[in-house]
Amino acid sequence: MTGQLAPSWPAAIAALICAAPLITVAALGVFGPWTDYMAHIASTRLPAYLTNTAAVTAIAALIALLIGAPLAWIVARFEFAGRGIMEWALALPLAVPAYAAAYAWYDLTQGAGPLGFLPTVRGPIGAGLIFALTLYPYVYLLAREAYAGQSSDAYDAARTLGRGPFGAFLDAALPLARPAIAAGLALVVMETLADYGAVAHLGAPTLSVGLIRAWSAEGSIADAARLALILVTIAFVLFAYERAQRRRARQSAASGRRRPAQRVKLGFGPGLLALLACVTPVMLGLVIPLARLGWRALSSPTNRSMVEAAGNSLLLAAISGLVAAALGLAAAYALRSGRRRAILSARLAGLGYAVPGSVAALGVLILLGLFQDGLDQVWTGLFGSAFPVLLSGGVVALVFAYQSRFAAAAIGPAEAALNRVTPTLDAAARSLGARSREIAWRVHWPLVASGALLAGLLVFVEVLKELPATMILRPFNFDTLAVTAHNYASDERLGEAALPALLIALIALPPMVWIARRITRSEQS
Amino acid sequence: MARLPRNIASVFVIGGALALSACGDTSPVDDATSAVDAGVVNIYTARHYASDYAVYDAFTTATGIEVNYIEAGGDLLIERVRQEAERSPADIVITVDAGRLWRADQAGLFQAAPELADTLQGIPANLRHPDGAWFGFSTRVRGIAYAPDRVDPADISDFADLADPMWEGRICVRSSGNVYNQSQLAALINTAGVEAAEAWAAGIVSNLARAPQGGDTDQIRAVAAGECDVAIVNHYYVGRLKNSDDPANRDVGDAVDFIMPPVAGAGAHINVSGAGLAANAPNRENAIAFLEFLLSPDGQRFFPELTNEYPAVEGVTYDNAVIAGFGEIMADPVNVTALGENAAEAQRIFDRVGWP
Repeated sequence: MTGQLAPSWPAAIAALICAAPLITVAALGVFGPWTDYMAHIASTRLPAYLTNTAAVTAIAALIALLIGAPLAWIVARFEFAGRGIMEWALALPLAVPAYAAAYAWYDLTQGAGPLGFLPTVRGPIGAGLIFALTLYPYVYLLAREAYAGQSSDAYDAARTLGRGPFGAFLDAALPLARPAIAAGLALVVMETLADYGAVAHLGAPTLSVGLIRAWSAEGSIADAARLALILVTIAFVLFAYERAQRRRARQSAASGRRRPAQRVKLGFGPGLLALLACVTPVMLGLVIPLARLGWRALSSPTNRSMVEAAGNSLLLAAISGLVAAALGLAAAYALRSGRRRAILSARLAGLGYAVPGSVAALGVLILLGLFQDGLDQVWTGLFGSAFPVLLSGGVVALVFAYQSRFAAAAIGPAEAALNRVTPTLDAAARSLGARSREIAWRVHWPLVASGALLAGLLVFVEVLKELPATMILRPFNFDTLAVTAHNYASDERLGEAALPALLIALIALPPMVWIARRITRSEQS
Repeated sequence: MARLPRNIASVFVIGGALALSACGDTSPVDDATSAVDAGVVNIYTARHYASDYAVYDAFTTATGIEVNYIEAGGDLLIERVRQEAERSPADIVITVDAGRLWRADQAGLFQAAPELADTLQGIPANLRHPDGAWFGFSTRVRGIAYAPDRVDPADISDFADLADPMWEGRICVRSSGNVYNQSQLAALINTAGVEAAEAWAAGIVSNLARAPQGGDTDQIRAVAAGECDVAIVNHYYVGRLKNSDDPANRDVGDAVDFIMPPVAGAGAHINVSGAGLAANAPNRENAIAFLEFLLSPDGQRFFPELTNEYPAVEGVTYDNAVIAGFGEIMADPVNVTALGENAAEAQRIFDRVGWP
């Protein structure tokens, strides 16, 4: 009904291209040689992998929800000292790679560590906590963006009807941001499913550990691909279920942007509490782990220059963020078009996020290899020589790998934002005589712009942190901050890992501040 | 530094390419062309250590040949070279584990380098491929760090002893997913067979002081902190702590002693970082020159002096009293190829005995 705004097939094709590495991995799993590895782990470690996966993911999602959604509400609805800083600072822990936070927290809380009196951060609970602390910003950013564009009518009504502030938040505010919060949680869950470094270090082996073992010890890429398919299936079923639930509970009220509420000024006591609530996750997710790394850095100075690595990181992240903003928006429109094929390809593109990065990188490698072969054959036929090298050292190959891997982070925010543009809004605009392009530009764009920016920001930060694809697809002598940080951390040199990890957070800071400002401004206008 | 502008220039090319498909066009060709220049050697390496950068710099200073490198995990590196096939710019492939070298060889990634035959004689025969397709250039020993006040080293004359009930609740070791543990068990399989290896692994599991967590350094810290009495770790982690500039780290290192007992009577378990000449090396002569340099006394010294590894070439002198002080290594004479062949079985044993 709204599909006429723009043809959905270009977006669908872009989404399919992004999904291609995942499809390649799936093909490896289906057509690859069968060994008895699956039977072996089914009879040995599979129950433990599954329990750990369920526990880590559930803890991560629950705590990320409990941190992200209420704080987004507080920041969007109340005025208190420090709010302006907390608004963007709350997003910063996203810039800390989960494995780095895991290394730092484990180092702090192990028996002889300075916080050794606390329970050691380890096992499924410790891993769940680490993911919650580094990934809650997904929920926070998406929910804040949703609240910023929402009227507080429902909340005010609930308060008038006698609910306390928290009850009214649960009953009236939470459901209104549900699509956004669900999109944020989906990202938390997928990134948790895909992680290898943190769960391996903390001794909470999940399915992705079983997957890496299939590859590294058995040398069976096909079995690794099969386990990747299981991860993808888990993600798919979870999200399909959530969407079905949401459809049933469809909110009819929140349509477009109406009278965004004035922020309520909090008194000194409540204001202090609000500030404290905001500061805590930033301390736990960003300040304490980086401080631990930094403290170790003081006694083991790095002598390699980070300038070039920082430049490379910034370059890759900036290109990828821009492309992702556009792709995310296009895919969101494809989803909205209601066309089955468009929806399928967009959903498929998003699922690659649940697969460990090294497997996703493998998919890209094999795909580019095939592509190169194909080009070679055509080129040889035409010109009698092989096609120039495609695989080695292509920044283009890297950007493709990022779009493929982080499509979910690009589509989620754009889709959540587009959700606010209800069909009635289009119909109203049409009845006033607006043409399609006008509707897109004057009605949709103001509502979805912040979603597209957020998509770009998420991918920007993800690319700053990304490892396996960056490592294997980069050109010669091309270091990034994430690679440098990982090289030291994996070599158990936490101190040297501090500087690049710190720089990642610093580079992520300006766009986060900018976007927070922009959302606030559009809210006020 | 000199590369940055080129990268930025390529951004503009990329912008257009992405608009088309988000998928890809030709990549910047600078690397492809430099790969056939006379003055470079292209290294694909799974290592990323100070010693390696020192070797690269010293090699460039000595020969004028520029070193280009890509660092990534061994499994993905192997896959990249395979996908690049005959057009691969790789001249040399380096991995940190004999199992990976074995797998790379199986995948046909290497070519023989007869020019190196004489130089390779300096490396013990068990640390290189029988036909010279690859060779170890630095080694690490899996040993035991223990608290001297709580442990009598005479009780550990062999790794097999650690499976004895007297060690119940006293052993720290990292997760079995780690290649160090895999290759040690692979060596044991080779020496004593699958059943004995499984019994040993089960014995270790029942003697663990805590669930496997953290890296090797964390196991040493746990011994220093009294959480366990012995830790199974690589020698260079102990060496690094004892040699550290940081007094806190040095205290941890000095709180433990280190021994390198044999594994089931066969000798200490050692593994290698190794290199091989890539099958399609476009800069073959430079690659040979680099490999010669890597094995020269000047090249070899960097490994003990900068990363606390042992040189693979026999008789190399170096300045690192700590690792020299660990004593003479009575190495397991098995060819490290066996570590690759038995890796999968080792992993399955870990799975069966519940060593997470």
